[in-house]
Amino acid sequence: MHSREAFIGIIKENEGIIYKVARVYTNCREDEQDLYQEVVYQLWKCFGSFRNESKISTWMYRIALNTAISFLNKEKKKGGQVPIDDDLLNKPDTPDTLMQERSEALFARIKQLNEIEKGIVLLYLEGKTYDEIATITGFTTSNVGTRLGRIKQKLAVQIN
Amino acid sequence: MKTLWGEMSAELEKQKKLTDSLIIKMTQVNYKNKVAKIWAPEAIGSAVGFAYAGYILINMAALNTWYLMFCGIVSVLIMITMPTLSITSIFKIRHLNIAANNYKQSLLEYSNGKKRFVSVQKFKFYLGAILLLVVMPVMSELIGGKDIFKAPGVWYWYVIAFPFYYWFAKKWVPGCYNNILAGAENILKEIEA
Repeated sequence: MHSREAFIGIIKENEGIIYKVARVYTNCREDEQDLYQEVVYQLWKCFGSFRNESKISTWMYRIALNTAISFLNKEKKKGGQVPIDDDLLNKPDTPDTLMQERSEALFARIKQLNEIEKGIVLLYLEGKTYDEIATITGFTTSNVGTRLGRIKQKLAVQIN
Repeated sequence: MKTLWGEMSAELEKQKKLTDSLIIKMTQVNYKNKVAKIWAPEAIGSAVGFAYAGYILINMAALNTWYLMFCGIVSVLIMITMPTLSITSIFKIRHLNIAANNYKQSLLEYSNGKKRFVSVQKFKFYLGAILLLVVMPVMSELIGGKDIFKAPGVWYWYVIAFPFYYWFAKKWVPGCYNNILAGAENILKEIEA
């Protein structure tokens, strides 16, 4: 299971997760690409310890969110990453400009939340149940519910 | 909001862009850079500090008065303490257990680590100021063979420098770290909310 091919397969299958985490936790394209690569690297590093006890997506969210936290802390040291074609990680390139604008606005609103809220709302939008969010974040299920209520109110205020 | 997120996710699913070689490159290049990225600045700073400490220790016999000896010992202690503190605090803050921690644990460790880091940075600033004070007579004696305590007028420089140092210590240093500290404390408060 823990082969390079299996890892590549999992990353390709779930690359959207990494993209969305990187997008939510950074404020510029350069940082976004750095975090994207950092998440891939951390997933590779932790892949050997994945025991199939949880769903692969749950494991990926945990690693990706934890990496995002530690990434916030690092000084900006550029120049050490793989040079990537600018378009490659700049998703989505949908012809629907209205949808693109709306998703830009949605990301912008989520970015204004604090770190805890960002993590919880991201998992909620990804369709995770309260129990799954609790497992990934470490908060109790009821606390997740309370926090989500507050987050929805905050986002509603932003929209209005 | 959820519908829009779902639509965007569906678009992403259609646009798989990563290739096998790109994924491999990301893991390999990152791995090589990791060591340099994390340790190079700290290692260089520590090496310089330890080298100076070693130089003073080796030449301790040349410090032939009690006050130069005192300055020498304090300098060596500070030169060893500062990089050690630095490396320990940076190591703690940068080494979250990404695989085992949940999000809450990581945020707690990260925020506490940041607070610790700020305290260490402030403490290091004051240590650095003391070092500046005690290392000058030592180096003057060891390199130039001059006891600056006996040179006329040297203390004027300390008197002139003091107000600048005081302003720096009172205004600039806290200003640099207060935002970081406030950010960390906000996260800790929010976790408890």
